[in-house]
Amino acid sequence: MLDLFPSREAGPFGRRLKRERGARVPVIVVTGFLGAGKTTLIRRFLKSPEGAGTAVIVNEFGAVGIDDALIRDSAEETVLLGNGCVCCITRTDLQVALRRLVFDRERGTVPPFARVAIETSGLADPAPILQTFSTDRALGGEFHIDVVLAVADAMNGEAELDSAAEARKQIILADRIVISKTDLATPAMVESLTRRVKALNPRAAIDIAIAGALDPSRIIEPATNERGGFVAEAEHADGITSFVMTRKEPIAWPVFSRAMETLIALRGVDLLRVKGILNVAGCRGPVVVQYVQHLAHPPVELEFWPDPNRDSRVVFITRDIAERDVKVLFAAVTALAKS
Amino acid sequence: MAASDQSPITKSYQPITWNFKLLANDMLGGFGGMGEGMSVQIAPDGRRIIWLAHESAPKNFTAVDVSDPRKPKVVCQTDLPHANMRSNSLETCGNMMAVAYQTSKKDLTPAGFELFDISKPENPKSISFFDCSGPHSRGVHQLWFCDGEYVHCASGSRDFVPTNAQDDQFYRCVDVRNPSKPVEVGRWWMPGTRQGDNVMPPSRHPIDKGFRAHNCNVYPQRPDRCYLAYIDGGMFVLDIADKANPKKISSWTNSPPYTGFMHTIVPLFDRGLMLVTDESTENNAKDWPKLIWVLDAREETNLVPISTCPLPDPKVYAEAGRFGAHNIHENVPLPTAWHSDQIVLGTFFNGGLRAYDISNPYQPKEVGIFMPPAPPGAPTGTIQMNDVFVDERAIVYTVDRHIGGLYILEMDF
Repeated sequence: MLDLFPSREAGPFGRRLKRERGARVPVIVVTGFLGAGKTTLIRRFLKSPEGAGTAVIVNEFGAVGIDDALIRDSAEETVLLGNGCVCCITRTDLQVALRRLVFDRERGTVPPFARVAIETSGLADPAPILQTFSTDRALGGEFHIDVVLAVADAMNGEAELDSAAEARKQIILADRIVISKTDLATPAMVESLTRRVKALNPRAAIDIAIAGALDPSRIIEPATNERGGFVAEAEHADGITSFVMTRKEPIAWPVFSRAMETLIALRGVDLLRVKGILNVAGCRGPVVVQYVQHLAHPPVELEFWPDPNRDSRVVFITRDIAERDVKVLFAAVTALAKS
Repeated sequence: MAASDQSPITKSYQPITWNFKLLANDMLGGFGGMGEGMSVQIAPDGRRIIWLAHESAPKNFTAVDVSDPRKPKVVCQTDLPHANMRSNSLETCGNMMAVAYQTSKKDLTPAGFELFDISKPENPKSISFFDCSGPHSRGVHQLWFCDGEYVHCASGSRDFVPTNAQDDQFYRCVDVRNPSKPVEVGRWWMPGTRQGDNVMPPSRHPIDKGFRAHNCNVYPQRPDRCYLAYIDGGMFVLDIADKANPKKISSWTNSPPYTGFMHTIVPLFDRGLMLVTDESTENNAKDWPKLIWVLDAREETNLVPISTCPLPDPKVYAEAGRFGAHNIHENVPLPTAWHSDQIVLGTFFNGGLRAYDISNPYQPKEVGIFMPPAPPGAPTGTIQMNDVFVDERAIVYTVDRHIGGLYILEMDF
């Protein structure tokens, strides 16, 4: 299309966007272990002015949709996914539900909802949900995940993190963490959980909810607006690590994409989340890249850099992949491309 | 699966703001029925003034200081000499403004256009008046004035006798290099619409709105071309290299089977594309569909329609007022206008203001909607968005046809 109808306004990745999500519908994924307080948090948000126009998708692990019944009265649209976990059994249901929302909106039978909030079941692994949005084919053209929010319960959170790998992964992959039930727990319990959560995911901002209430802007503010996303280097748990790759000089797009293709081909399953902004040679604005395991989001060029720093910055959250190996791979591809 | 079947919000008309942010609304002192003239001037004292044409009497034009788009302030509002006329269209260029005057009946005055010195926005001073009145003329409906030298307009004339009374306005080019003495330098009309033409008059459409000129856009990228919409006659690309003898290069129409009223042509030069709009003129969506069309214009002698900008199901919008395309942001070639060949912004009456991403011109995609609640006293009970202009800061100005006045927005996509 760019060849047939070229435009000086468009870059190699198409129209430059004001923000990463462009015109796509923002999605908030709320994860957290069973009983952590996800439903309460969403209900309080829906009752706030900022929560107006939110379509909610609730994933219940159980035959009776209790959470759905609690939320339905205040949401713009409520969709209950069936008896199973959104990450595995009902992932197709999630896709169908989202497609249906788009279809109904385009028919004019549902207004253009402002956002979608997905409440995952307590047992859900967030990675496959993120994958659902990672490509155009899988709804990435219509929806964009603005924030993955994990709720951790101050009363039981530590015990759950000790016993359940799913709970740890929810915290590790989150953009923002909310500590709930602080009104029931002692200050020492809150402090201890905060420490533990920070150790698992130093990238994420931590908010404290009081009786389920949280400043609504902390729910809808896109995670990319937080600078902390690019300072993480941590050994988490279960072999999961995160590190940041930075580069001062502009990177040629073929170098970056070839290196990522190699990583995906060899270790895609262990690339839990890769996200960053690149200074791509020949591009005016920063290029946002995002990968979830084998799937790559279509890159997006923004109109403006978020700050004066023009370095490329990419966060890798990986399982059993050494930071050194990734950096060596990128260095080798860069050298080979020059020769 | 989806709950839309049980949703309380389905199937009824309701306000929507999606990917736009409302900065301000000014009802313009109770005279908020606005036409299709919007132009931004940077005044000599540095203030940013938007000049707005009114849809109908009693007001002529209004100037609003929008230096701070969150705090618009009316600085000037003028009256028409009588109620049987309107000043539907205006343009500014530097500190000069041209205002179109159209009378409701033929042979009334003033019918033509007036030039103003707007160096002091509070006190516009008339420079001259170009008379277009006559026994068969209603004067000027629409004008284009961006180079400070020529006014291109849809106008009648004393010496023009149409074959059908509705076909009184045609393309005229008027030299205003001496603003106190405007002089016509050229004209063109659709063959068959003037008595004495050697071709048959055109067949009328079921909704007969006239085979007459509307927008006549001319851009510096192709100063030798006029992109002329001709209402029920479709559109024409004219060669105006010799302004005294405009020649037809090509034409395109969608009617029949569509219902006429082609309104605006905006060429996107770099991309070889052209945007063509219809105007909805009938209440309750009786003339549906009125659309924004995207044409492949790489070969100007063979214009090929390739897509339209999608609109929702008209049933929801058919209850009150007009629904369908009208004006779009026209990339006016002035430093105070935003220019884009990726985004189209258009007004759709009760469908509000809508924005489309045309980066893939085969599949325009809606990226924003601003459909505010009906302004107090709205005769149709809905908004009736009429025109849109975007300044070089990417601030969006849009107006209601009946009462709502000026809405100022930010694009959020």
